[in-house]
Amino acid sequence: MDTLRTILDPHFLLRNSVYVSLLVGLVCPSVGVYLVLRRLIFMGVALPQISSCGIAFTFALQGWGLLAHLHQSEHSLAFFGSTLFTIPTIVLLSLLVRRGRGSVESRLGTVYVLAGAWSILLLVTNPSGEHGLLDMLKGEIIAIPDVDLEWTAAIFCGVIVLLFLFRKEFLVVSFDREMAVTLKKNVLFWDALLFLLIGVTISMAVLSVGPLVAFGFLLIPSLIAHLFARNMRQFALFASVIGGLTAFCGFCIAYRWDFPVGPTDVALLGMVYGLAFLGQKAVGLLRSRRGPAQAVAGAQT
Amino acid sequence: MTDEVALSLEHVAVGYGRRIVLPDVNLSLPRGSFTGLLGANGSGKSTILKTVLGIIPPLGGRIVLNPVGGGPPVFGYMPQRESLDPIYPLSSFEVVLMGVCGRVKPGSRISRMEKEGAHQCLRETGADQLSRKLFSELSGGQKQRVLLARALATKPDLLLLDEPTAGIDALATKAIMELLGKIYVTQRQTIVMVSHDLTTVRENAKAVIWLHEGKVLHGAVSELLTLDKIQELLDLELR
Repeated sequence: MDTLRTILDPHFLLRNSVYVSLLVGLVCPSVGVYLVLRRLIFMGVALPQISSCGIAFTFALQGWGLLAHLHQSEHSLAFFGSTLFTIPTIVLLSLLVRRGRGSVESRLGTVYVLAGAWSILLLVTNPSGEHGLLDMLKGEIIAIPDVDLEWTAAIFCGVIVLLFLFRKEFLVVSFDREMAVTLKKNVLFWDALLFLLIGVTISMAVLSVGPLVAFGFLLIPSLIAHLFARNMRQFALFASVIGGLTAFCGFCIAYRWDFPVGPTDVALLGMVYGLAFLGQKAVGLLRSRRGPAQAVAGAQT
Repeated sequence: MTDEVALSLEHVAVGYGRRIVLPDVNLSLPRGSFTGLLGANGSGKSTILKTVLGIIPPLGGRIVLNPVGGGPPVFGYMPQRESLDPIYPLSSFEVVLMGVCGRVKPGSRISRMEKEGAHQCLRETGADQLSRKLFSELSGGQKQRVLLARALATKPDLLLLDEPTAGIDALATKAIMELLGKIYVTQRQTIVMVSHDLTTVRENAKAVIWLHEGKVLHGAVSELLTLDKIQELLDLELR
């Protein structure tokens, strides 16, 4: 209770970290539902890694003196580098997935390991050293300046508004592309906008919480929500609420027992998923047992 | 049935990429006609349908769609149900509601009237009680009813159906065909139905297009689906 009171205090030293965790927890699953529905989960693994590589690349350019050092614009620069790598990759990979030629998993696996390797190489060859950058790539959620929080909030709000406004279009082009064409929808445009939103969200999330946590929040809340959702509205809402709640609880646990926030969030998501899965199976089992029993009772009456 | 042409194909070549499936298709469909599109597997039935719908670009020739009420005709398309991924947690009502998306501007809400229209389409296809059920959990016949309701929700000028009775039992097939017959009679719809089921087409359609070895035979059911003619065509296909 004391922990909760401390965290909810408006003067709490790490309040920006709480807000960023909440934002990532609420927004990443809203984007993640499309990765799950379009069966692009593996892309969700590879993209945060690519995004990290983009961040490392931009800082390496700065370290090599090819870009000016401006401390205030460091966050924007990292976001730019991350987005620059993420969006072309998502477009390219989705085109390859749609054409269905070759093994998609092998391509995504290759992208994942190459991006991971290059991120490390770019970090160690950066003349400015690894200080600070490694924290950013690990998802250090502790020290977040007000400006970064405002940027994150503004971008995530934009993503949520666009996802909500154009949910019909995104759903039709995702579920039934052919039908969308017959309805005269510009399928390429809606696909591109959706991928842009996915790319921007992943870039921002990786910058705020690192690739591991970003992937965790993209994937696991959507999978939990998928167990119970009976329509699309429930699916998106459940995923977002589960993500937000887990992010907040994860922060509380990490603060109380002095754990790193990101891994705590992901471990908690894993536990919730496990419990939800077992709960769903148990309910299914109960229903299947109750079914024949009711049938027998019905026959007797 | 009127003599007005709803759709005509003039020297149209259809296929995928550089692979031409049918090199020279010439036909015209009168408004208010019920046409069965028959042919063996791989003969190009679905390819023709998708080319007319604009899903696949024609590789040559011209498709003329006669305007209805000053605008281009609206298609009601019913795809093969296997093409829809069961991972989507969509209620049947949400699936039908997709049909109205062509009339609703991006970013606008779907009005209460449009939603009531979607319910009406579910009622017309006898699927109203399925509206809250997950589409992925429905039986084959139930899915077809919901997809037909979605096609009707577009308020179509042309109803194009890709194998509406494939993979469903005889009873469900009969129910779907009775439903189509009712829609044809009451709404005077122009219907094109892809099928590989000769009996279904012979009993329900008024005209038939038979694709055979790159050739397109078009005529009335009473002319093209006589026992002698069928025997002749089947012998040719078996050879």
